[in-house]
Amino acid sequence: MHLSRIPAGMRYYVGDEARLRRKVEDTAMSVFDRWSYEEITTPSVDYYALFEQGMGITEAQRSFRFTDQDGRLLTLRPDVTSSVARAAATLLADRARPLRLCYAAPVFRQQSQSASEWRRENTQLGCELIGAADASADLEVLLVAAEILAQLGLQNSYCITLNHVEIFNGLAEQFSLDAKEAEYVRRLIDSRAIPELTLYSSDVLKCNTFADLVHLKGNQEVMSAAHDLVSNSRSQAALLALADLWRALEAKRLTDAFEIDLGDVSSFDYYTGLSFKIFINGAGSRVGGGGRYDRLISNFGAAEPAIGFVLNLDGLTEVLLRKTNEAQISQTHIDQKGSQSL
Amino acid sequence: MITIAVAKGRMQDEALALLARAGVCFNGYSSESRCLISRDETGDYRAIFVKPADVPVYVEHGIADCGIVGRDVLLESQPDLLLPLDLGIARCRLVVAAVSPQEIKSRGMLRVATKYPQLAADYFGARGTPVEIIRLSGSVELAPSLGLCDVIVDLVETGRTLRENGLSVLDVITESTGRFVVNRASYQLKAESIARLLNALERGLNGVGP
Repeated sequence: MHLSRIPAGMRYYVGDEARLRRKVEDTAMSVFDRWSYEEITTPSVDYYALFEQGMGITEAQRSFRFTDQDGRLLTLRPDVTSSVARAAATLLADRARPLRLCYAAPVFRQQSQSASEWRRENTQLGCELIGAADASADLEVLLVAAEILAQLGLQNSYCITLNHVEIFNGLAEQFSLDAKEAEYVRRLIDSRAIPELTLYSSDVLKCNTFADLVHLKGNQEVMSAAHDLVSNSRSQAALLALADLWRALEAKRLTDAFEIDLGDVSSFDYYTGLSFKIFINGAGSRVGGGGRYDRLISNFGAAEPAIGFVLNLDGLTEVLLRKTNEAQISQTHIDQKGSQSL
Repeated sequence: MITIAVAKGRMQDEALALLARAGVCFNGYSSESRCLISRDETGDYRAIFVKPADVPVYVEHGIADCGIVGRDVLLESQPDLLLPLDLGIARCRLVVAAVSPQEIKSRGMLRVATKYPQLAADYFGARGTPVEIIRLSGSVELAPSLGLCDVIVDLVETGRTLRENGLSVLDVITESTGRFVVNRASYQLKAESIARLLNALERGLNGVGP
């Protein structure tokens, strides 16, 4: 093998691209700082068992794994949240709550999630708000995310979709789905597979209810349609929480950039409340996401509520670089036209 | 503008007819043409024509916002896409076929020739049958009679090619039809346009005009 070759999914950054990437990172970190988020650096190499607890076995298994001298399984960290949660429950257990922590750190996956995700090293810009369960904490992290995107000049070109995991969980309970069926239905909803959803069982009401969930996507008018669809108290409480959050975003005049999407049910074994995804025009896949994970920290110590999100620095840099290049090309066109007319 | 990746070949004409019924007409395009890209009259839509296996690739990367491709291709490559609509076109079956069904049952190991290595491995794996998968790109029906394999896993529309090559169907793995697939980011960022196209296609399928 040639020494010139580098492993699949890895890359260099140099010149303009490296400068832009640094600027994006600095922008995000300064927004975190303004919101009083304190930087934390976690180990790059950690015990594999941490991530099996932290992210679930399927996600953790995608990581690079190797053994320590004593035979214990180590990994190159596939996420940062697990380690931050452990630090909150141990190292920072005595600190006043809420804790506000942020980071810019590379994460690694040996096996990518989809064919279009080529990279195996991604830098996450993220924050975690720990020890606050109220609606204002949910709103706060969304405002932080929106502010970073605005600072990057992406005001009118991003979309954050919102959902609450208890809406689906309440419906699963209402129709007495066991874990296997619930996971099957969740996957169908996640891929918006309406033809399969409408036929997957002989219970027509059940099938139609889950198929209808996929259509509940848009702004607050989704809420009234959703209220008609769900009759159980668990889902209704979640809908109310989502409606309150929407009103709070409305008061901040941010709803143009937000959307409710009750069909977005990915990562639902992990999140316990609000869950959201961040999309940007020009990026073929999402560039970030987050949500509330009130069960995670109890793995490492006392239970406490937490919410956070990450933005993918590499994905952001790619979109911003393309936008800069396009702007330069059109500027050159204008300059050329200008000189011709002179 | 919405870019639609259409699988060339088997389902191309039916796919274009469905799009036309939904009010998206690529009149400038003929299947004899070498041009692989076409715009509709309104300028709101652009079609690109690629090999079936490449449709999920273009859509997953977001180069195309949506696509029309067979379920067989999606099952084989398992792309991370949205599958909101079954177009019901180019209906066919994915089958296991062999020259002599009896011989197969007593074998401790099967050689399987197919264009669908993943699906074949899953099918025989679920039944506990050890298999050697031989990946071919076409004319799979030829392989058993020449001794390359014991059975084939292949797509069958009428069954004529199987019969003419002395093969009979042992089992139907699944059915396949043309599916409308959507990129996850486009579904959010171009929500209105995608919803409009989905509705128009659905009305077309139900026999209502655009």
